Amino acid sequence: MNKAKKKKMKKEVVWAYLFILVPLSTFIIFTIYPVITSVITSFQKYRPLGSEWVGFSNYVSTFKSSLFYKALKNTAVYTVITVPIGILMSFIVSIMIVPFRKGIQSFFKGAFYLPAIASGVALSFVWKWIYDPLPSGLLNSLLRFFGVSNQNWLGSSKTAMASLIIMAVFGGLGQNIIIYIAALLGIDPTYYEAAEIDGSTFLQKVRYVVWPLVKPTTVFLAITSVINGFQSFQTAYLMTGGGPDNATTMAGLLIFNRAFKYFEYGEACAQALLLAMIIAVFAILQFKVSANDVEY
Amino acid sequence: MGLYRRYGTKDKYKEKTRNIVLAAVLICLAVITLFPIYYMVISSFGAPTEAGGASYSLIPKSFSLASYQFFFDYSQYSFRWILNSLLVAGIVTVCNVLFASLAGYAFAKLRFPGCQFFFFLLLVAMMIPYQVTQVPLYILVVNVLKWQDTYIALVAPTLVTCYNVFLAKQFFTSLPTSVIESAKIEGCSQPLIVWKIVMPLSKTVLAVMAITTFLGEWNTFFWPFLVCNSEKMQTIQVGLKNFSFANTTYFAPMMAGATISALPMFILFFSLQRYFLEGVTVGAVKG
Amino acid sequence: MKRKITAWILATAMTAAMLSGCGGEKAADTSAGAGEAATSAEESEDAVQGQDKEAGTSGEKDVVTALLPPVSATYQDKIMEYVDAFNQENADIQIEVTTASWEDMTQKLDIQVNAGSPPDIAFVGSDGISKYLDLSMIINLNDYLQDELSDFDENVLNYFRNGDGTYGLPAYCEVQCIGGNKEKMEAAGIDWENIQKNGWTYDEFREAIKKGVSTEGDDTCYGFVFACAGVTAKDYFSIFVKNADMPASFDKDLKYAYTSKKMLTFLEDLRALIDDGSMPKELSSVDAGKRWNMMLTGQTMITGKGLSSFERSAYNNNKMLEEGSADAVENSIPVEYIVLPVPVFNGEQHALGAVDGYVCLTGEKNPDQAHLQNVAKAAYYLASGERAAYTCQELYLSPVCESGREEYAKLDPIVDKNEANTACVELLTTQIAEARPDIPAELSAKAIKIEDEVIGPKFQGLLSGEVSPEEMYQAIVDAGHEAFGEEGCVAD
Repeated sequence: MNKAKKKKMKKEVVWAYLFILVPLSTFIIFTIYPVITSVITSFQKYRPLGSEWVGFSNYVSTFKSSLFYKALKNTAVYTVITVPIGILMSFIVSIMIVPFRKGIQSFFKGAFYLPAIASGVALSFVWKWIYDPLPSGLLNSLLRFFGVSNQNWLGSSKTAMASLIIMAVFGGLGQNIIIYIAALLGIDPTYYEAAEIDGSTFLQKVRYVVWPLVKPTTVFLAITSVINGFQSFQTAYLMTGGGPDNATTMAGLLIFNRAFKYFEYGEACAQALLLAMIIAVFAILQFKVSANDVEY
Repeated sequence: MGLYRRYGTKDKYKEKTRNIVLAAVLICLAVITLFPIYYMVISSFGAPTEAGGASYSLIPKSFSLASYQFFFDYSQYSFRWILNSLLVAGIVTVCNVLFASLAGYAFAKLRFPGCQFFFFLLLVAMMIPYQVTQVPLYILVVNVLKWQDTYIALVAPTLVTCYNVFLAKQFFTSLPTSVIESAKIEGCSQPLIVWKIVMPLSKTVLAVMAITTFLGEWNTFFWPFLVCNSEKMQTIQVGLKNFSFANTTYFAPMMAGATISALPMFILFFSLQRYFLEGVTVGAVKG
Repeated sequence: MKRKITAWILATAMTAAMLSGCGGEKAADTSAGAGEAATSAEESEDAVQGQDKEAGTSGEKDVVTALLPPVSATYQDKIMEYVDAFNQENADIQIEVTTASWEDMTQKLDIQVNAGSPPDIAFVGSDGISKYLDLSMIINLNDYLQDELSDFDENVLNYFRNGDGTYGLPAYCEVQCIGGNKEKMEAAGIDWENIQKNGWTYDEFREAIKKGVSTEGDDTCYGFVFACAGVTAKDYFSIFVKNADMPASFDKDLKYAYTSKKMLTFLEDLRALIDDGSMPKELSSVDAGKRWNMMLTGQTMITGKGLSSFERSAYNNNKMLEEGSADAVENSIPVEYIVLPVPVFNGEQHALGAVDGYVCLTGEKNPDQAHLQNVAKAAYYLASGERAAYTCQELYLSPVCESGREEYAKLDPIVDKNEANTACVELLTTQIAEARPDIPAELSAKAIKIEDEVIGPKFQGLLSGEVSPEEMYQAIVDAGHEAFGEEGCVAD
C-alpha cells in the first residue's frame, strides 16, 4: 500500500515537471536569459562593440542620484494609490454587473474593457483634452459648473500625479473587471444557498462568501497590478514627460531614458534590477499577508 | 445567480428597480471609460488636418472618410498582414491557454520538489522592467538565433506568459481538491484530470485568458515592428502604421488608424466572449 | 474566415501532437515546430502570390538598410519612389527602406544600436551624433565622400561635424522661431515688417505682447503662447536662450555657459512675461496642438515655436473658412501667419536651426569598406538633389545643398506664398547659431543630460510658478559644477 502510494506520488512529480516544462523552458530562454544578461551588464560600462567591467560603479552612481530616489517615491505613491482603488472599484463594478443577463453583461464588460485595447497614444490625446489647463478644457468646464476654480491639471506638481492616477485607474479597470467576473461566475451557488439559510444579508454574502472565495483572484490582481504600477512608463512618458519639476518622473521613465536617451545601458540595468528587488519585496509581503487567512 | 436575492413573482418590480439603479450607475461609469473611445472614433471622421487643428468638440461637425481613404487603396500585402496577425495571435493564444493551464494546475494542485522555487522564478521574471530585457532579447532573437523576419520570432517570446500561468494557478487553487482526489482514486491520469475536470470547471477564466491573450497579441505593435523588416512578414498593426498613420502630427488619420486597428478587436471581443460564456455550467461538480 | 479556422486547427493540431508525443520535448523543439509550420504556410502563400517574390530575387546586390521617419507629409511615399529609381539605376546596390513614425523609428533605432546591429542609414537630429560617436558606431563620411560634401552649405554641414569628422548629411535646416497673427499685430500697432528685417529687443517684445492682450466676455486673447507641455518646455528654453548671448551651452573656451549671471536675468525675464499677464499662467501645460488651436481661434496674437510650414497650415484653414467648409477648425478666424524673429535679451540676434539628416551607422568593429562606400553613396543620394528639393518645399524651407537648390528651382513654386516670410526665414537662416564641432562629444553628452534632467524639469516648474528663477539658476549652477567642475563653468 505504502509502496503503491509512493509510486503514485512519484508519477505525480513526473507529470508536474512535464506540465511546467514548456513554460519553464520558454522562460529560461526568453526571460531568464535576458535577465541574467542584464545582471552582467549592470556591472559593465556597456558598449555594443565591447563593454568594459566597472564593478559596482553603476550601482554607486544610482544610489548617489537624488533623481532615482525621487522617481522611486513617485512610483511608490502612484502604485500605492492606483492599485487598491483600481482593485476595489473593479470588484464593486463586477458585483454590479453579475445580476444582469448575458447580453447586458457582455455590453458592460466591453464598455469597460475597450479602453484597455485601444491605442494608448491615440487615447493620450483625448486625455490631454480632458486635462486642458485653460477654462475651455473639458474637466475645467465641468468643475466650474460645481464652482471649482480652474486647475492646471498636468502643469502643476500638486495635481499632475493625481491626474495620471485618475487616468490609470479608468484605463485599467477593464482587465480587472473581466477577470473578477470570471471568478464570480465560478463560485458554486450552493455557498449562497447555505448563507441564505443562515439568513445572511446581501452585504454579508459579499463579505463572508464572495470576498474569501475570490481571494486568489484578488491576490493575483494585486500582485500583477503592483508589478505594472512599479513598471509604469507610458502614461508619464506621453502625458507629462515626467514634469513638472520631476513630479511625475517614475522609475520606468528614468530607466528608459538611461538606456535609450543617454545610452547608459549598464546603469539602466542596475536601476532596473534594484527596482525589481523592491517589487519582489512588495510581492512577498503581499503573499505573506494574504496567506494568513487563505480559505481554500 | 445566488448572490442577489431572488424576488417572487409578486415582488418582480423590486428586482426591476434594483437592476435599473445598478444599470444607471454602471452606465455613468461606462460613459467615462468609453468617452475617450468615442472621441477617437468621431475625430477619425474629421478632415485630415494637423494636430493643432484638432477639433475640440463633442459632436462631429463634419463627416469625411478622407482619413480612411488609404484603406481602399489596395496593397498587395493587406491580406497577408491580416493572415499574419491571425496566425501569430492564434498560435500564441492556443499555446498560452494550453500550457498555462497545465503549468497552473501543476503549481496549484501537485506537490513536487522545487515547486515554490520555480513558481517564484516565474514571478521574478515578471518583475524586471521590460525596457532592459528588450535589448538582450533582441540580441538573442535577431543577432544570435537569426530569426529576423520569421514567424517563430513573432511567436516564441510570448508562447506562454508568466501572467497567464499565474492567473491559471490562482484560479485552480480555489477548485475543490476533493474532486481531483476522487478522480485520481478512480485511476484518472494527470493529463486526463486536467482535460476532464480542471479545464471544464475553469471555462470562464480560460475564456478570459484566451480573449485577453488574443487581443493583446493582435494589438502588439512594437515587437513585430522590431523583428520584421520585410513587408511580407509584418502584422496588420505594423502594416497599418506604415501606411498613412506614421505622422502623429496629422490628427484625424492617426485616430482613423487607431480606430481601424481596434475595430476587429471590438468585434472579436464581443463574438468570442459570448461564444465562450454560453458553454459554461457553473458548479457542474459539487465540491 | 475559412483561413482563420484552418490556422486555428493547424495550431491546435500542432500543439496536440506535441503533447501526445513523448512529452520530453524542450521548448526549443516546440518553437521550431511552430516555425516549420509557419514557413510551410509561407511557402504555400508564396505560390499563390508569385509576384511577391520578384523583389527578393536579385540576391547579388549589396543591401543597404535605411530607417526613415515621416520627415514631411508625403516624404515616406515619395522616398519609396526615389529609392526604387535608385535601385534600378545601380546594379550593385539595393536600398531597403523601413518607415515608421518618429517615436517608433527612434525606439527601434535605439534598440538596434544598443544591440549592436543598427540600420546602415538612419535619419536623426544633428544633436544626436555625439551619443553614436560615443559608442563608436557612426561612420566618418570624410573617408567615403569628397566632392559630395562640398555640395552642402558649410555652416549647416558643420552641425554634423565633430572634431575633424563629418558624421552625417543634412536634409534641411529648419529655423525655429515664433510667428504672429498679422491682423492682431497691426491692431496692436506692431510694425512686423520692421521686426522681420531688424529684429526686436526683449523690452520691445514685452511691451508688444502686453498690448496684444484683450478680453471679450469670457474669452481672453493672450499676447504670446508657447507650447510648453511635457518635453516641449525645453524648446522654449533652447530657442530663446540663443538670444540671451548664450548661443551654445559652451563658450569659445569650452566652459559651460549656462552658469553665467546672464542666465538668471534671462529666467527672470521669461517669468515676467507670465506675471505681466501677457502669457497664460497655465502655460506649463499648453501643448503643441493646443497652442496652434489657440492661434487659429484668435486666443493668442503670437505663438511659438513657429515653423515656416505653419503658414501653409493657416492658409489651408483660411481657405476652408472662405468656402464655409465644416472641416475648418471650430471657432477659427482667418489668420495670416507672419514669421517673427525671437526677441534679443542680450548680445546678438541668433536663430535656432534644427538640422536633421542622414547618418551612417555600423555594428561591426571592422566593417567592410566596399559596403560602407555603398552606404555613403546611398546616403548622399537621399540627402541631395530632387529628394532635398522636394522635402524642403514641403516644409517651406530652402534646400541646404547646391544640387537641391538646382532642383528646387525646377519645381512648381508654392501658390500664394508670403514673400515677406520667405525673406525673413532666409535672413534667419543666415543667423543660425554657429555649429560647434569643437565641443567634444563627451562634454556635449553631459550638457544634454543637464538639459534633460535639470533645466527641463526646473523650467517646467518655473513656468508653473513653483520654482523661482533664483532656485532654477542655482540648480543649473550646482549641476554645472558637479559635471564640469567650477573651473569648467563660466563665472561672471
